[in-house]
Amino acid sequence: MSASKLDRLVKMVNQIALNMSANGTDKMVADQVAQHLEKFWSPPMKNLITEQAAGADIGLTPIAQLAVQDLLVMQEAKQG
Amino acid sequence: MLEFYEPQADYGTPKSTSTELVTLSVDGVEVTVPEGTSVMRAAAESGVKIPRLCATDQLKSFGSCRVCLVEIEGRRGFPASCTTTVEAGMEVKTQSDEIAKLRRNVMELYISDHPLDCLTCPTNGDCELQDTAGELGLRSVRYGFEGENHLVAEKDESNPYFTFDPSKCIVCSRCVRACEEVQGTFALTIDGRGFESKVSASQAEDFMDSECVSCGACVNACPTATLTEKSIIEAGKPEHSVTTTCAYCGVGCSFKAEMKGNQVVRMTPYKDGKANEGHACVKGRFAFGYATHKDRITVPMIRDSIDDPWKEVSWEEAVTYTAKRFKDIQSQYGRTSIGAISSSRCTNEEVYLVQKMVRAGFGNNNVDTCARVCHSPTGFGLKTTLGESAGTQTFASVADADVVVVMGANPTEAHPVFGSRLKRRLREGAKLIVIDPRKIELVSSPHITADYHLPVRPGTNVTVLNALAHVVVNEGLEARDYIEERCDVPEFEKWLAFIGDERHSPENTESITGVPAADLRAAARLYATGGNGAIFYGLGVTEHSQGSTAVMGIANMAMLTGNIGRDGVGVNPLRGQNNVQGSCDMGSFPHELPGYRHISDSATRELFEGEWGVTLDSEPGLRIPNMFDAALDGDFKGLYCQGEDIAQSDPNTQHVEAALRSIECLVVQDIFLNETAKFAHVFLPGASFLEKDGTFTNAERRISRVRKAMPPLSGKADWEGTMALANALGCEMDYNHPSEIMDEIARLTPTFNGVSYDKLEQLGSIQWPCNDNTPDGTPIMHIDEFVRGKGFFAMTEYVPTTERANRKFPLLLTTGRILSQYNVGAQTRRTDNSEWHGEDLLEIHPHDAEERGINHGDWVGINSRVGDTVLRANVTDRVKPGVVYTTFHHPVSGANVITTDNSDWATNCPEYKVTAVQLSKVTEPSNWQARQKSFDKQQLGLLEKAQLQEAQG
Repeated sequence: MSASKLDRLVKMVNQIALNMSANGTDKMVADQVAQHLEKFWSPPMKNLITEQAAGADIGLTPIAQLAVQDLLVMQEAKQG
Repeated sequence: MLEFYEPQADYGTPKSTSTELVTLSVDGVEVTVPEGTSVMRAAAESGVKIPRLCATDQLKSFGSCRVCLVEIEGRRGFPASCTTTVEAGMEVKTQSDEIAKLRRNVMELYISDHPLDCLTCPTNGDCELQDTAGELGLRSVRYGFEGENHLVAEKDESNPYFTFDPSKCIVCSRCVRACEEVQGTFALTIDGRGFESKVSASQAEDFMDSECVSCGACVNACPTATLTEKSIIEAGKPEHSVTTTCAYCGVGCSFKAEMKGNQVVRMTPYKDGKANEGHACVKGRFAFGYATHKDRITVPMIRDSIDDPWKEVSWEEAVTYTAKRFKDIQSQYGRTSIGAISSSRCTNEEVYLVQKMVRAGFGNNNVDTCARVCHSPTGFGLKTTLGESAGTQTFASVADADVVVVMGANPTEAHPVFGSRLKRRLREGAKLIVIDPRKIELVSSPHITADYHLPVRPGTNVTVLNALAHVVVNEGLEARDYIEERCDVPEFEKWLAFIGDERHSPENTESITGVPAADLRAAARLYATGGNGAIFYGLGVTEHSQGSTAVMGIANMAMLTGNIGRDGVGVNPLRGQNNVQGSCDMGSFPHELPGYRHISDSATRELFEGEWGVTLDSEPGLRIPNMFDAALDGDFKGLYCQGEDIAQSDPNTQHVEAALRSIECLVVQDIFLNETAKFAHVFLPGASFLEKDGTFTNAERRISRVRKAMPPLSGKADWEGTMALANALGCEMDYNHPSEIMDEIARLTPTFNGVSYDKLEQLGSIQWPCNDNTPDGTPIMHIDEFVRGKGFFAMTEYVPTTERANRKFPLLLTTGRILSQYNVGAQTRRTDNSEWHGEDLLEIHPHDAEERGINHGDWVGINSRVGDTVLRANVTDRVKPGVVYTTFHHPVSGANVITTDNSDWATNCPEYKVTAVQLSKVTEPSNWQARQKSFDKQQLGLLEKAQLQEAQG
């Protein structure tokens, strides 16, 4: 995995979070960002961001970080 | 549907739209017609043709030729039937000895100044003057031919597509009126008086040097051989015709492809085509020669490396080779290591097959389409707010608009036939607001001046839209009753609190957008209170990092003012390519099955799994930019690209080229060896729209038939090529005709349930949704309620792009299109349209040019953060200071060498419209241009080797 690959994904999540920032509370926005990622991102992209964000600062904004955590929960729920 | 050639029926004057009916008699036969109908048309509708020369049903009646005289009981004299409207009980007589004598007298005068060279005339057998002389029984001309005449008047052959031969002109003014009424350009006039009267282009200039836009409306209207297509002069009269749909822009004009055997000799706009109603533009009408251009590649080719010469092979060998390489790649790198890009220039049926092959054959959802890089934010934004990823109206609906907003679109250049329709409505008095960084033609053109031009700074559309909504809300101009009845009120209240904030006021945003606050306020008031308000927008809205937000902002404005759900209003995305709407409808996006249903929805998946006999992946696949990134990371190794030139059209060319070089098996299916094909390992020859059956769906959601006019030059239409590849991969497909593919689409897609080729034959075209609820289709959407139920006011926070001007890159580059060229130019560059636009130029404001010592015509180096290129300067005040502009129709221009990989937050649609650049005067091409030239030469050399080897056997 190249650093630039992760950087691109981080930039995208931060951008989505920023553009949704007026949609409600931080929690609501994070949920919506997570749903957006779940709906539009391919599994390798989702896996990479959730794996790399776990317990590490990869440059996500606080809301984006929260969203990625939500995404992880969604993925785990799907896997049962 | 093969039809023997005959001119389209002409009723003499336009149809009246009155609902009141009037009954009269024509030659003793009773006929009932709408009030306002001319006597000439009433006669035609009862089966009686009244001779005429200056009348045609595409133009208002004029009454100049005096050939259409009739007798009306109780009236004195012989009124002209074209300018006389029907009255109840009127008794009309169209034939009598006296009428015949009068008509013949008039014809004698015309013919006394007309060459008698009918047998060698290019329109012999297809000339209204000749026909009328025949109908009137003209046998002699008593005045002789020795008097003063115009028979030696010089021909104007300057236009590449038609000639103007004034010696054959009868000064009926049909061409002048067509230029005014149909096209709205006003390039032609009748110069002089009496005997000296003559048709003149602009100020007595050649057609080519005049303001003529070569739409062909004058040629279509001409009743003689005065204005004649050069293709007809060369080939003669067509012998049969095929009704089909244009393959250029998203207007989707209907045409008669007029043929001699398998050769197209003329494309005539079809009067019954509902998108164009008999009008056309220079591309659809004339630029069809690319279909048989010498550069066409008609034999499949393969090679192991892009440094190897191509080898011509059979279709079977090509698809077997491809299938093996794709399978090997999947075994080595995994199921998701291959994918496809479908084309918005191909038919619905072809696009459907590509996504089917990916999902059922590749076993993943790695399919995307060029709508990714143009209107994907439209899909997202309109689905979110209104519930359906499509425009809301018919084009004809603009005739009922009172206020028109054109935002980030340039209809007279990019959607010219709609542009003409719009101009007609504006001349009738509708108000116009243009929101665009440039002074597009609509801002000021003959008989049209925009009421407000808001010259938005590139990248700040969302701020302008928020400010417009802020004014409407702040001044209490919103449609409260509509919102309460039709929209989600709690969400609206939340949005109201957001938009009411003073930070959105025009005064507070003026410094961001560059739009004067007073103009913005006035424009908002006009849109909210001026009657029916219709918004038309284009890629100047979508191709931004906030493109989806801007689309939602537009939908918010329309709902806020109650401007959705009837004629004359609506939200209208002007689609770039002929089948952008259709390619999106057909499930080309990696997260959606046909009909915009998410791949994670198990019920929808089961429906397709049942039909296709496979298990589908429930997770979204890769979007085009993700494919490039994955290719560079070594995860994506095989790509099937049908009818798209991603190497030229996608942003950040160096990034795209590097990604294409990383792909182990790139398959390109196209009619030419385009820029992408130069990186390919397999070339499958494509078919032009003239060589296949299918359907296109235009920007109005109108599904229209594409009909085969000639056999595919490569032996296979594109759908047959895809089917061959799918079968080689073990994904069985067995369609005998595209109608069977449409039947499958209809079975699986609720919005297409009622669509079939039989119904298309019956209705001509159908606007989806078409199902049991709306068996004849849906011209206007969201009439009683929004597709999503209640309209949703989405929050539209403005997030500035990270692509900003600074001291190093002080100017903002934005890009667009020009009338004569289309998209990457692969088609139009191979026609005489290049006479109008042989190269892409850089528009720069005189102030910015002077500061840099740049003069008109100088070579200018353009540097951005990602690359540089060189173009010639066009110094003009069409752009405002601080903004530069270019088109992207020529590969050597490298417009996308400088655009960045910034993209829309929701859809990854590239931000083509904002690139910070610096300019400098230069004397030679950029390094990239030099490399491109050398690579191009190498690849064309490798192609020539293959063709030479084949020729030598």
